[in-house]
Amino acid sequence: MKPLVIEQVVKQYGEKIAVNSLSFEVSEGEIYGLLGANGAGKTTTMRMILGLIMPDRGEIRYFGKSYGSEQLRMMGYLPEERGLYPKLKVSDQLIYLGQLRGMSRAEADRSLREWLGRFQVEDYYNRRVEELSKGNQQKIQFIAAVIHRPKILILDEAFSGLDPVNVELLKSAVKELRDQGISMVFSTHRMEHVEELCRNITILDRSRTMLQGSLRDIKRKFPRERVVLETEGEVHGLESLPDIRSVRRTETGYEIFIAREDAAQNILRHAMAQAPVRRFELMEPTLNEIFIKTVGERNE
Amino acid sequence: MNSLWTVMAFTLRNKLRSKAYIWTTVTIALLLMVGANLPYILERLNAGGSNEPKPVGYIEGAYPEIVQGLEAFFARQENPAIRLVAIPSGGSPQADEAALRQAVEDEMVKGYLTFADRPETGFPEVVFHSSSLTNFSLADSLRVGLESVKAEMVFRNVQLSEAERALLAAPVAVHTLLVSSDGEGGRTAADQAVVMALTYALIILLFMAVTITGQLVATEITAEKSSRVMEILITSVKPLTQMFGKILGTFFAGIIQIVVLVAVFVISLLMPHNRGALDALGIRLDAVEPQLLAYAIFFYLAGYFLYATLFAAIGSIVSRTEELGQATTPVMILSMVGFYIAIFSLQNPKSPLVVIGSYFPFFTPFLMFERIGLADPQAWEIALSIGILLASILLFGWLAAKIYRVGVLMYGKRPSIKELVKAMKAYKV
Repeated sequence: MKPLVIEQVVKQYGEKIAVNSLSFEVSEGEIYGLLGANGAGKTTTMRMILGLIMPDRGEIRYFGKSYGSEQLRMMGYLPEERGLYPKLKVSDQLIYLGQLRGMSRAEADRSLREWLGRFQVEDYYNRRVEELSKGNQQKIQFIAAVIHRPKILILDEAFSGLDPVNVELLKSAVKELRDQGISMVFSTHRMEHVEELCRNITILDRSRTMLQGSLRDIKRKFPRERVVLETEGEVHGLESLPDIRSVRRTETGYEIFIAREDAAQNILRHAMAQAPVRRFELMEPTLNEIFIKTVGERNE
Repeated sequence: MNSLWTVMAFTLRNKLRSKAYIWTTVTIALLLMVGANLPYILERLNAGGSNEPKPVGYIEGAYPEIVQGLEAFFARQENPAIRLVAIPSGGSPQADEAALRQAVEDEMVKGYLTFADRPETGFPEVVFHSSSLTNFSLADSLRVGLESVKAEMVFRNVQLSEAERALLAAPVAVHTLLVSSDGEGGRTAADQAVVMALTYALIILLFMAVTITGQLVATEITAEKSSRVMEILITSVKPLTQMFGKILGTFFAGIIQIVVLVAVFVISLLMPHNRGALDALGIRLDAVEPQLLAYAIFFYLAGYFLYATLFAAIGSIVSRTEELGQATTPVMILSMVGFYIAIFSLQNPKSPLVVIGSYFPFFTPFLMFERIGLADPQAWEIALSIGILLASILLFGWLAAKIYRVGVLMYGKRPSIKELVKAMKAYKV
């Protein structure tokens, strides 16, 4: 039984449709990517999964059951807008949040200490949140979402506002939770994180599902249109080759956008004739490119 | 139930540990302690001087019959308020006046008497020139003394028995007793004064407790919303549980504060040295019926919950604490209207305004309490107003819960009532 099944869910605010018959499933130990521009319906979808809003039509099932107070306790939520009690001690509020989700005081305390240890910030136990740096507040916020060992975790912009070191730290924590079998719905604007973490994704645009499926299949559907070329010397006349869209000089060589995949072989031959080639690669489309193609073009 | 308890305990614990809470409690407790001991302190400060007769001057030789009569009158009293001091005459009226003024300036006397003939009555007009406008008690003593002198002058020529004289001299006493509907003995005027003072104090206390703790509830909810911790809270526990946990937690924090303050006040009043001071003022604390206190507690509870649910609902729709003051104004005005009607009609608790207002649930805690304390309403009237009050608590609690449910999810501009209703429909609450 899938931990989370969203089936034909529709949500309407008055005239405006926020989510239009959205369906997806999240397996055990899977991080599901929910992507979309601002206002695409991600937050509404997450709020429906969290039971804050009831869908107008369709159904959301948690391990086969519909929403109830049991479900409330097995879910964890890292909201996009972060917030904790600024004046309270880390221990006080996190133990409180753990208790609210059905843990005993001692359990919550143990879980909190484990997590603080994992992030190597044990000494924050007695500190007030307002005294911590932003990055460290984010760690505490993350702990707030997972302290009660949820089975379903909703991560909205999980790594925003973090420095690269802390991003890696939280990312490894997320992966560890995934390997423990926790199912996650993951929303972000950072496509490289999705590529690294998610197997399946949905791209929403203005309430509609634009793209859905496994990341690999989606990528296959999009033609490879970018060639990275690095040579010992200069290469002239790339622009005049057939089916070339544009050529951009980079620090190390050239980035060439092509209209058809066959054009790539032409480029290689052309370059080899002029200088020794150090690197030639016909790049897979990045999720970033796919996203912009699907969502962005119409916005322009 | 379990999470209601958790929310309540969390709210209460944070409240009790907050510096603002501790300092307000300590400061008000100190003020109350001073206030309760004030009669005693004043008495001590005045000791020595207060019971001495105050010197009042007159020109030697002026209206000897009256002056001697007054002296005799004060001499007969156990604790005379006034002692007459003769000032030597300067010869002319101007010089006399100057000499008397000089005596006041030198603080020889507190004031002086001048006389002017009034042939039509045969008794001169007496003017008491006082060093201070507030010497009411001196003027009173003088009036009583002069009336006695006048009576003496009249009755000197009339044959009266001792009994008749005593009857004439005895002051007339009027005691007011409050008629009670249950037919039992009413209260005396002094008891009535104590009850009125108590009613007054309890209405103020009720108003303060309701508005301050109500505001606290609203502030806390808005703070949770503006710090965005709300997003996590509402996904951890049902909004309804959360709202009532918050209301109850703040309520207990308020109750603890009030219990501490009242205990400090009552203990200070009951100290042996204060007993005497209170008795001297004719205040008997046991004049207060226990039912009145029971009603006070009931109306405090009911009033608090009625207003707190409204404050919670408002707190939930405001996104930033800066906007909260403006948003709570209508509720504040509502409570203030009830409060001021109660305060201004304290002397007239049977006025139609009070009677009608006491059935309006937002005024009931103030006005019905006032009526019970001072006007002895019928049992059915009390029952009816309490019934309406309880029904409104349920109604507004239910409504507030609905508003709260959608309010906490709405950020940005404060929603209008129309937008709220729309959101309620959309969220299916």
